[in-house]
Amino acid sequence: MPEDTSRVQASPSISAGGAAVVHEDTTAKWFLISSIAYFFIVGIIAVTIAAKFVWPQLLGTVQYLTYGRLRPLHVNGMLFGWLLAADMGLAFYLIPRLCGVKLWSEKLGVATAALWNVIVLGAVVMLLMGYNQGLEYAELPTWEDVLVVIAWIMFGLNIFMTIASRKYDQMYVSIWYIMGTILWTAFVYLTGNFAVLFATGVNQANLNWMYVHNAVGLIFTPIGLALAYYYIPKASNSPLHSHKLSMIGFWSLAFVYVWTGAHHMLHGPISQWLQTISIAFSVMLLIPVWAVVYNFFATMQGQWHQLRENVPLKFLMSGVVFYLLTCFQGPMHSLRTVNAIVSKTDWIPGHAHMAVLGAFSFFAIAGTYYTVPRMFKCKLFSDTLANWSFWFLMVGGLGFFVTLWLGGFWQGWQWNNVSIPFIDTVKALQPVWLVRFFSGILMFTGIVSFAYNILATIVGAKDNPEAA
Amino acid sequence: MDYMYPSVFLAYFMFFVLTLLTLVWLIMSRKQGFWGKNSEEPKYRMMRDDDEGNYNG
Repeated sequence: MPEDTSRVQASPSISAGGAAVVHEDTTAKWFLISSIAYFFIVGIIAVTIAAKFVWPQLLGTVQYLTYGRLRPLHVNGMLFGWLLAADMGLAFYLIPRLCGVKLWSEKLGVATAALWNVIVLGAVVMLLMGYNQGLEYAELPTWEDVLVVIAWIMFGLNIFMTIASRKYDQMYVSIWYIMGTILWTAFVYLTGNFAVLFATGVNQANLNWMYVHNAVGLIFTPIGLALAYYYIPKASNSPLHSHKLSMIGFWSLAFVYVWTGAHHMLHGPISQWLQTISIAFSVMLLIPVWAVVYNFFATMQGQWHQLRENVPLKFLMSGVVFYLLTCFQGPMHSLRTVNAIVSKTDWIPGHAHMAVLGAFSFFAIAGTYYTVPRMFKCKLFSDTLANWSFWFLMVGGLGFFVTLWLGGFWQGWQWNNVSIPFIDTVKALQPVWLVRFFSGILMFTGIVSFAYNILATIVGAKDNPEAA
Repeated sequence: MDYMYPSVFLAYFMFFVLTLLTLVWLIMSRKQGFWGKNSEEPKYRMMRDDDEGNYNG
């Protein structure tokens, strides 16, 4: 891929100093390989449940393959098996480099990766067996939650100790975001998986939605942005537009995000003042989002031509656009009038998939495409296949998002008309679900292309060394 | 024994602690020069930190 080096050479020269550091990257490799395997496996589950919407009799009445068992497996598998694991793997890659030191403990890192795999495989078994706490995003049984906490402490300890031994005083913004992710996840996860068990009724629902929204906003958003802040300058070979602006984005996210969860309960039986606070903070989210997105667009000034050839950059900048769109949708959904139409409809999975797949998974895929050849010191197996994987995921993703927005809006209008029987609103959505299924096939083809390309790169690394 | 309200208050207390830590960090970041004239330094340094041959420096 062509790289324009002019902007880097024109930048002030900062001497890093010190001796060369050789990074082992064993932990990053383990996390990335396992996450890609789960991306593929859970992709099959995703297509299966999309097919069940169109053909409800599919797979009969086998209890392990019913929608109620497969849907939480899809959600947890994609969130924790694929995305968070990939994000952690990439964090293990970039933190030592940004700090100018080796990872504090590769042994602890590999143990974390092993424990994470135990958790994910345990979740597959438990969820298929029907052990489910019945709370959105917090379906895993308590013993699994305890293991997640232990694994997160191991991850956090390794990252923080590496940062503590860093060579430079000032930390690049990605380090801030990853530190934030580690601390925020601890609070968010404990609230959503433990505190929530001792509450009932409306209070439990309120805590649960605070967890669900902050799982996206304070776990996947900051670690996703950490990756984007690292890989956009790296892949485009252009320094970030403004580090100061990135700090404003970070701190405004830290202040604003935590209060938005209650917007999932608008028009519900919670206090009006709590609903209004959640609306106000949701709209304020536009501040960090614009700070982030403007920074990325300004970084790309004069570099857009690279999108023709540079596959990681294609994923990254498409992810930025999806991030902008999803974060514009979010505050708008939180307005009472809009919420009355779209809440609980198919619009919401369209919105959620644009965030988790369109934005954050695109960042993780871009990071993987950029990182794996460098870690294994080889060329990517196929640039052409990488380009195809982008287009499969892009076209499939757009088909999925747009169809569900239109269908969800239509569904919301129908639900607001009491003269339409509910079953008629279900039947009316069948064409929408058919398009969603075929979009899912396209997205799964993209996942297969990506997974095969990366695994072929790793397997053939010795036969395909990078040119000196 | 009803644990509902203690658990809700615990959750809000945790978020209060989170806000407090955020403020502490924000003040620390100012003291460490993240908002001063050298605040743009990390973005240039990160371009040179790794990659070709896994080298720093």
